[in-house]
Amino acid sequence: MKLLDWASRLSRRGFLAGGAATIAAVAVTGPSALADAKASAGEPQGLQPEQTRVLLKFVRDLFPHDRLADSFYAKAIAPLEDEAAKDSSARKLLADGVGQLNGLAKAAGGTGYADVPDEKARVATIKQIEGGAFFSKVYGTTVVTLYNQPELWPLFGYEGPSSDKGGYLHRGFNDIDWL
Amino acid sequence: MPAKFDLNDSSVVVIVGSGAGGGVLANELARKGISVVVLEAGKRVEMTDFRNDEVAMFGLFTWLDPRTTSGSWSVGKTSPDLPIWTCKLVGGTTVHWGACALRFQEHEFKTRTRYGDIAGANLLDWPIDLKEIEPYYDRAELRMGVTGTHGIPRLPASNHGKVLFAGARKVGYTKFQTTNMAINPVPRDGRASCQQTGFCVQGCTFGAKWSTLYIDIPQAEATGKAEVRAESQALRVEHDASGKVNAVVYADASGTLQRQKARAVAVAANSIESPRLLLNSSSSMFPQGLANSSGHVGKNYMRHTTGTVFAVYDKPVHMYRGTAQSGIVMDEARLDSTRGFVGGYQFELLPQGLPSFAQNLPGGWGRDRAWIVDNYANIAGVWIIGEDLPRETNRITLHPDKKDKFGMPIPNIHCDDHPNDVAMRNHGYKQADALYTSIGAKKTIHVTPYPSTHNMGTNRMSEKPRDGVVNRFGQTHDVKNLFVSDGSQFASSGGENPTLTIVALAIRQAEYIADQMAKREI
Repeated sequence: MKLLDWASRLSRRGFLAGGAATIAAVAVTGPSALADAKASAGEPQGLQPEQTRVLLKFVRDLFPHDRLADSFYAKAIAPLEDEAAKDSSARKLLADGVGQLNGLAKAAGGTGYADVPDEKARVATIKQIEGGAFFSKVYGTTVVTLYNQPELWPLFGYEGPSSDKGGYLHRGFNDIDWL
Repeated sequence: MPAKFDLNDSSVVVIVGSGAGGGVLANELARKGISVVVLEAGKRVEMTDFRNDEVAMFGLFTWLDPRTTSGSWSVGKTSPDLPIWTCKLVGGTTVHWGACALRFQEHEFKTRTRYGDIAGANLLDWPIDLKEIEPYYDRAELRMGVTGTHGIPRLPASNHGKVLFAGARKVGYTKFQTTNMAINPVPRDGRASCQQTGFCVQGCTFGAKWSTLYIDIPQAEATGKAEVRAESQALRVEHDASGKVNAVVYADASGTLQRQKARAVAVAANSIESPRLLLNSSSSMFPQGLANSSGHVGKNYMRHTTGTVFAVYDKPVHMYRGTAQSGIVMDEARLDSTRGFVGGYQFELLPQGLPSFAQNLPGGWGRDRAWIVDNYANIAGVWIIGEDLPRETNRITLHPDKKDKFGMPIPNIHCDDHPNDVAMRNHGYKQADALYTSIGAKKTIHVTPYPSTHNMGTNRMSEKPRDGVVNRFGQTHDVKNLFVSDGSQFASSGGENPTLTIVALAIRQAEYIADQMAKREI
């Protein structure tokens, strides 16, 4: 299919603004059978479940929507997990970042990041790593992959694609009643 | 039937680019019986490839080749890897354009005379005036099917437009309506009417929006006089011993270098790539780059002065429903320097679907930002688009070290806001706040400029050869069979979207080229 040919050529860069954000993360990553050489040589592949748990909590704190189940955040970080499974430098960046979050959280309150009950305390932890490589990588990817999930759109009142339904011409493009 | 020309056929006019300038010029010339070869760097996709998918279509359409930036403009910080948002495919940026088709105003052609000598700016009157271009605006509007002109009805207002108009009325504005749009409100000229899909920028799946991809290019090919070569990136324009251009060297789809001979060459690759190509075509005869004896190639880069204001209401707006950009307030487009700046600006709708809205929202992360996204359905927004002043130091240059995959130096875009731009943008933010708050907005959000889609001025038109690159017909002062056919000809940016003016100039230029060829001048 033509679109897939195109998607596979996308370079890694922001969708619009945002610099580090990556459309490629959305368009081309998917479960891959190809692990890198080090992985096949016996190193653990990808992130550990505990690391994934911290990453998910971190992304939820970046984009805290109470209406969203964890499953949406899990899907948002899936491309990062895939990348970690394929690429040892990405794995190290993510693992080190998670370690740093845990270290800062423990120093402040004695528990790992994901177990800090107070959101304000977790936010204070994030502020200490804001702008760093780990932060930028996770932010830049998940600001795209979180919100580009069609299953999530109805929860925000977004009806999405319309061409196959004949557009919004007969579906409320001018139905505003409160002005 | 598309034509097929030999590389050694020196009778053809080679056009670099297939967007608003190149696509229209190709169509006009071919219909006059002139043989044209269009070199387009991007792929050829068809309307059936369009999807209502912001992320995928961004990937399909966008010119993603590396560019660098310098200067203090905010885009250099918010989007350093992608400072320019234009397209790389057959049809160019007419595939994703919003279709606002506005004429420039009389004073905008005569900025040096009307605005005076402004420190830090490099103002220049166009060698043409509104009166001279008006007949070509008429022809452009008729061919594109612009609403609100020549008896073509306007599009109906969307919810998003109604919010804008209600606020405009409340603050005392009087010039607001659905915009002059190159989008069919009713079936016309073999094209369907607008179905209010809301995905204009992702390619109109109904073809109601004018684009050279599915209008001018097929028309040109149908004459049997035009050949479009996709995935063919021009690298260098060559000339003979007399200084006339005679060929374009390009990389084809396989990356192989080809050389197409030419009787004349028209460069229409937009305001970043056109000067890049001319600068990269330097020779012993033209050591500063082709057509650059003035030193102005690449200089006077203008985008528009832009900014966006979103407003959060208690009740639903659903800004994404309906023709995206069809709503305008023109009261601030007047020339009135008592506001603290020269030139004027429009307020235009610029809605975004949830994925791009959420991604492009400023404010980083956390609860405050999430709250705004939570209110997505209740948000209206407007884009400030105003005149950007030319500055010699805002310019496109060839990167000293970095090269693309064909070995061509990549462009650097240097831009610093002029104080006039800053004053205008801040005025726009303030007025938009007042407009939206007047009808109950509980919060407004200011967004800095997006990567530039309107790019102008880098091969500007001038009466005197020392002041610019091309003459009143887009013909370069230095080389009489070399033309510039895109927005880089603009001597000022105006406060209006550039496409209609690019099309009008291309129609006019085609007449001139045909005339000069008939007279054996070129």
